Amino acid sequence: MVAGLLPGVRILDVGQGISAPYCAKILAQMGAEVIKVEPLEGDEARRMGPFPSDSPHPEKSGLFLAMNANKYGVSLDLASPDGAEAFKGLAAGADIVVENPPPGSLEAHGLGYETLKTINPGLIFTSVTPFGNRGPYKYFKATDLVLYHMSGHAHGLLGAVENPDSNPPIRAGGHQAELVGGMAAATATLMALYRKRITGKGCRIDISSFEAMVNQLISGLANCAYGRPAPPRDARKVEEAAAAGMVSAIGGILPCNDGYVAISPREDVQWERWLGVMDNPAWATEERYSTRDARQKNSPALWKLLSEWSSNYSKHEIARWGQEQRIPCFPVNTVLDLFNDDQLAHREFFVEIEHPAAGALKYPGAAYKFSNTGLPLAARPAPLLGEHNESILEKLE
Amino acid sequence: MSDLPLDGVRVVDLSWIIAGPTATRFMAAMGAEVIKVGSGRRPDPSTRGPAFQAYNQSKLYCALNISSPEGLELVKQLIAVSDVVIENFAVGVIDRLGLSYEAASAARPDIIMVSSSGTGHFGPHKDYVAYGSLLQHYTGWNSISGNPGGEPVPGGLWADPWVGMELAMVTAAALNNRALTGQGQYIDFSMAEALTAGIPGAILDYQMNHRVPEPMGNRDARYAPHGVYHCVGADRWVAIAVTNDEEWQSLCAVIQRPDLAVDPRFDNADGRRKHQEKLDAAITQWTSLLEDHEATRRLQETGVPSGPSLDICRVFNESQLREVGYINQIQTRDGELRELPGLPWRFEGGEEPIFTEAPILGQHNEYVYQELLGLSEHETNRLVEEQIIY
Repeated sequence: MVAGLLPGVRILDVGQGISAPYCAKILAQMGAEVIKVEPLEGDEARRMGPFPSDSPHPEKSGLFLAMNANKYGVSLDLASPDGAEAFKGLAAGADIVVENPPPGSLEAHGLGYETLKTINPGLIFTSVTPFGNRGPYKYFKATDLVLYHMSGHAHGLLGAVENPDSNPPIRAGGHQAELVGGMAAATATLMALYRKRITGKGCRIDISSFEAMVNQLISGLANCAYGRPAPPRDARKVEEAAAAGMVSAIGGILPCNDGYVAISPREDVQWERWLGVMDNPAWATEERYSTRDARQKNSPALWKLLSEWSSNYSKHEIARWGQEQRIPCFPVNTVLDLFNDDQLAHREFFVEIEHPAAGALKYPGAAYKFSNTGLPLAARPAPLLGEHNESILEKLE
Repeated sequence: MSDLPLDGVRVVDLSWIIAGPTATRFMAAMGAEVIKVGSGRRPDPSTRGPAFQAYNQSKLYCALNISSPEGLELVKQLIAVSDVVIENFAVGVIDRLGLSYEAASAARPDIIMVSSSGTGHFGPHKDYVAYGSLLQHYTGWNSISGNPGGEPVPGGLWADPWVGMELAMVTAAALNNRALTGQGQYIDFSMAEALTAGIPGAILDYQMNHRVPEPMGNRDARYAPHGVYHCVGADRWVAIAVTNDEEWQSLCAVIQRPDLAVDPRFDNADGRRKHQEKLDAAITQWTSLLEDHEATRRLQETGVPSGPSLDICRVFNESQLREVGYINQIQTRDGELRELPGLPWRFEGGEEPIFTEAPILGQHNEYVYQELLGLSEHETNRLVEEQIIY
């Protein structure tokens, strides 16, 4: 049994979907004991998929399995007196409660922070909601799509396009706004837990996923504070901006015979070595490609020349040649490539967990390794609905 | 004595560019004393331009040539009186400087050392040269983002800020463990793995269904309607996500299409997904006559998840960020009052986080070398003359 970094820390995860459960998942893989408290019909993530053969099944939802591995699970009707009593019993022995309801809904059952702290004064109570418990948008409803667009990210994802009015901004795949909300919650909660260890004090933490998304773009916000305009989405304006020296990084993707490779030989020395990889083509000596500024200004023509060369080779070949010359250069991978990646395999990034209904699956593990402490990344599969009702709830009596 | 969570924690910040400075910014705002140690010869790119005010708020900044023997000795002395040291150089650089975990923990046995790199600190590709934007491609993160059938997207700025927050998180976890056990840590962090961990749905879909998930633009595998809809003005859009039948009924009422509300083809999400182009056209008829915030207001009034698709300058001006105090006014050294970003969380009833203007290189030399490390003024002057302290 691997102890992890947080032995003896007990967490109640009352969250549904992604944001709060992701926070609790992070704390579970750090070694806390996490009890997931689901309503009788189960967490909504059980209905989100992906499912094997696309057939919905409450115990086989990929997102549910990934977000809730290494947790225990109980099901409770918090609206019933018995359920509320049981929840209070669990909260009395917990260090942390994590929730992500519409504002006030746990409070509606008489189970908000004000009630729980009378039972457990040192409790840390973390709420993750789209806009936090504050401001004019407090009661606004938002999803991952809405938050990705409202926070400025969608305008940057696609890069410049020829006609912005027929090529709208788009969101990134994979629920990134929900995940950022969960990561912000885990960060703030661990800071609060550290304070609790030193001072004994609990607190209520209010997380806004919107602000967590906006906070990913603080350099852009700082530019605004200095009166700089937003980067344009209109390709014609980007050319003007490049001419005015506003775009500084040379980089992008090149077509290969089996996909794409992403390169960025932005420094002069990197560019020199890149030309070597391409066997020093004759056009490279032309004045319009001879300096970094010139390459920047003429990047559309330059990119065409690079593409003509790259289409003859595979993405892994080009990436290897580039990296051998210390040029920032990577294959554009799909999830299939990830399972064949030597680096991820060598670092044992994926962890396999056997689940009684969904079978053995490989899950993304942790991006970090602690030299002195192992992490319980595969301690147990995500709980079946109500799996630990008996073992956990009956102990409360 | 402050009430902030990281009060009393001292961080030696050897990190640069975006991810590391983002992590230490969170720590500094939450009460840690973050001492950025910078080089005059290889200046941190994040110390240029307005972004510096975002990435380096609330920190102290001393200048030191750590590749000189005396400079190395000074940074070890600083580590000896600190709790955390963080760096994000290319793999191997910190060892060559003489500041491996072995060296750092010799100076301070319970030090928490956080090392972040593109692909992690061991493994066959540990030396791969990486930028965040390229890692987004390498890790599959970008493979599920984009328009269906289109070229891979550039991907926006995601890797570095995402890793920055996660680095602050792992540091807080290690501090908790040290408080409990007295034990420090070396943390080997891989940016690539942090990105791959952010696409669990795609990774499981591949295993469950033997297919490589494709980008879906603004569409969703489950919900419909789900997209952005053109409003009045150039490149103005409102994002709308209908997540259940009740919201569908509300949407039909707002856009004044009672005929769609009773059409059995649209009774459930599967049906609406099948006909989403038709529904998108009906919604656009309504949105195209409205300003994006006004469309949002009307949709939200009836409980339909929605919001404008904003560029960063319009985000900066959002009433929500201003009224909740996410944007703070800070006087900068140019004499201006600047509106700068804050933190995405509030500790209710707690002390306000610390936001001070970003320092300049060497601003806190006297505090660090004389007050903390006990060097005399005379000794400091000698080190300045010998260009060990800049």
